[in-house]
Amino acid sequence: MRPSGQEEEEEEEDEDDSLARDLYTIPISSGWFRWDGIHDTERRSLPEFFEGSSFTRNPRVYKDYRDFIINKYREDPSCRLTFTDVRKALVGDVSLLRKLFLFLERWGLINFGAGAAPPAAAAAADGVALPPGEAAGPSVVVEEGAPWGVRVVPPLPQSYAAERKSGGAGAATAASAVGGDEIGCRLPPLTSYSDVFGEWTPRKAPFCGFCGEECSAGQHELMEVMKGGFVVCAKCSKSKVICEEETVQLSDHKDGDVNGAASAWTDAETLLLLEAVLKHGDDWDLIAQHVRTKSKSDCIARLIQLPFGEHMLGSMNGKCDSRTSVIQAYDLKTNQNSITELSKGPIQSVTSTHTDGKENVVDESTEERPLKRRCFLSSLDATDSLMNQVALLSTVAGPHVAAAAADTAVTTLCNENTRARDALIVNEETMNNSFSSNGDQCSGLNVGDQDMMLPQRAECQMDKSFGAAAYRMRAATVTAMGAAAARAKLFAEHEEREMQLLMASIIEAQLRKIQYKLKHFEELEHTMEQEYTLIQQSKESILAEWVNLLRQAFRAGIARLRDHHVFPKPFLNKNCM
Amino acid sequence: MRSLTLWSSKAPIKFRMPTAENLIPIRLDIEVDGQRYKDAFVWNPDDPDSEVINFAKRTVKDLKLPPTFVTQIVQSVQAQLAEFRSFEGQDMHVKEKIVPLKIDLRVNNTVVRDQFLWDVSNFESDPEEFARTLCKDLNIGDPEVGPAIAVAIREQLYEIATQSVSSLREARAGKKGRRGADTFNRPGNSALDLVKYFGSKGSVIRKRKDWYLYEPIVDILSNEEVGALDAREELNARLKRKLDEKE
Repeated sequence: MRPSGQEEEEEEEDEDDSLARDLYTIPISSGWFRWDGIHDTERRSLPEFFEGSSFTRNPRVYKDYRDFIINKYREDPSCRLTFTDVRKALVGDVSLLRKLFLFLERWGLINFGAGAAPPAAAAAADGVALPPGEAAGPSVVVEEGAPWGVRVVPPLPQSYAAERKSGGAGAATAASAVGGDEIGCRLPPLTSYSDVFGEWTPRKAPFCGFCGEECSAGQHELMEVMKGGFVVCAKCSKSKVICEEETVQLSDHKDGDVNGAASAWTDAETLLLLEAVLKHGDDWDLIAQHVRTKSKSDCIARLIQLPFGEHMLGSMNGKCDSRTSVIQAYDLKTNQNSITELSKGPIQSVTSTHTDGKENVVDESTEERPLKRRCFLSSLDATDSLMNQVALLSTVAGPHVAAAAADTAVTTLCNENTRARDALIVNEETMNNSFSSNGDQCSGLNVGDQDMMLPQRAECQMDKSFGAAAYRMRAATVTAMGAAAARAKLFAEHEEREMQLLMASIIEAQLRKIQYKLKHFEELEHTMEQEYTLIQQSKESILAEWVNLLRQAFRAGIARLRDHHVFPKPFLNKNCM
Repeated sequence: MRSLTLWSSKAPIKFRMPTAENLIPIRLDIEVDGQRYKDAFVWNPDDPDSEVINFAKRTVKDLKLPPTFVTQIVQSVQAQLAEFRSFEGQDMHVKEKIVPLKIDLRVNNTVVRDQFLWDVSNFESDPEEFARTLCKDLNIGDPEVGPAIAVAIREQLYEIATQSVSSLREARAGKKGRRGADTFNRPGNSALDLVKYFGSKGSVIRKRKDWYLYEPIVDILSNEEVGALDAREELNARLKRKLDEKE
């Protein structure tokens, strides 16, 4: 996949000679544009034409306006088209025309690349590919962050060439693919490009996209050109398994031929980088000075690539880590080894084609196996790199959820631009299959086997089209986020259920408490009543005794008036009542 | 024609400028004691009236005009605002109508002639932005040209808007047969035949031979030419004033 930020719209102006066909450069974000249709973007941005609220504004009129303006611009793409030029030829409200004009200009359908240097434009009009060196030369001007100048189509990948009707471009691709040395895409001078990839130190031979090793001249026949024009040396093309670090390397390699070579980090440079990071923190200027051979953005990219890079930065920002650079170098080495080993793990037959140097690495890495295991088992603690986290998260979230998330991510990316769709659509099926097949495995596998699954997943995701690494990374990121979100939702639901349960138990306890209290009160009341009856009984008996006593007294004839006073008061009262 | 009536039957709205911003054009041409002050600008009718006097004072101070101009400016602006307010609150019949607007003006040394189509019912239009684009596309350096074009556009839109109000009013009163038909037809004449261009048989692409009609023409005059023109205008103005006095 080309990292190009541009897409070429082909004009069927000259059917006889496809090489003489005019190619126009429009931004990749405007890939939705079709001559024979009206896209939703247009409907959204210029709703006036599609509401049917006006007689003079209807889709047909819109298309006439649009087509005329674009055609007018393409009469001479090097010349900037102004609104005043356009409106004299169009019948209609100038305010509306202006809005439409600005819309087309904003999307780069017109005036994109206007004002370019004449030679570049001329070359583009001829449809002849410039040599890669020339494209990166001074004729390309970066202005206001936007690409200027109409440039020629970079060689299309074969799969593309087949899809598209542009036979000429396809032939050119095939030719350059055979050449080996000429493979690669010229990058547009986008600002984002220079930020991310920085400068490249010149090397001579192309690099293998997998192992990063220089391919010697004799190996050229063995090399495979992957979709997107990457070189893969013979041994790696057998295994076709890559891990995240190599993916990043790959994306670095994309423009390897812009300056004739790619930049690989030597161990010494990496050591220097780590030292510098420890010493200077995140002052990248100083770090770049320390490393000397690499640019600032290179250093940043490299540190991010390192499996423990984030961790290092994190610990540095907090407190200065006491790890010595020697240990780190050792870590680095083991990591690299383990990754290499990992990439081979699933496929045992790889070793047969290995060169001696490679075999050494394999031997070392076998010894490091325990380290690797530890590394992957703790992969959730942010010391690992993105792809692993993606894989782990997808495993954690469940295969079907992950598949759905990946699907959504891919769809969204596809909607964003068509190039991504082309890159992803090939792998969509494999990805989904891999997710579900992994799901089947998942049930049978225990935790210890997870690291076996990871490379497989990586394999499926990374299979074949390394050129789309950027898109793939994004898709993977989004997938990871989706998977994480799904996981989080599961957690949230679980927590909520837990909370509801707890709440229910609390309420139950409260109810029971009240019931106990009620029972207690009932008992109390009961005792009270009993006591009351007892008292009543005793009262009656006392009364009866009194009556008896008085009767006896009467019989005895001792009747005295003052005896009345002897009556206990409560009884009197009681009787009165 | 059926579809046309379908779309043109919009509910009447309250009178305002048929542009995104409700700014009205103000033109000043004041002569006191042989000293002349001409100006054109836009005014937001929602601003408080006290702003007028502030504006007048400020202008007189900046242009070093005699203080007598203050009251004259205030009167003139107030009169034009009052005219606008007399229309405010009345119903305006918004009919989809695309009219050709003509620009023919001279600002300092720059002469601009232009013609373009304007949809009077497009309430999102922005004459100032249009004028800015025009000046940018034509590389007009004089910063006074853009605003002058915008004011010229607004004046014509204002005229059309007031006509649509008065035509409505006269159409109602026209039953008494007081030359209502005359004013009613006037704006209709200049408006574009929409069916001809936007109907299913028409084309919105103008014929190449007609392009020159809708193309802006810019002339940069030399100072001598400007002087001669100024003198002629002065003369015409005096003659006109004398004629007015005689009447």
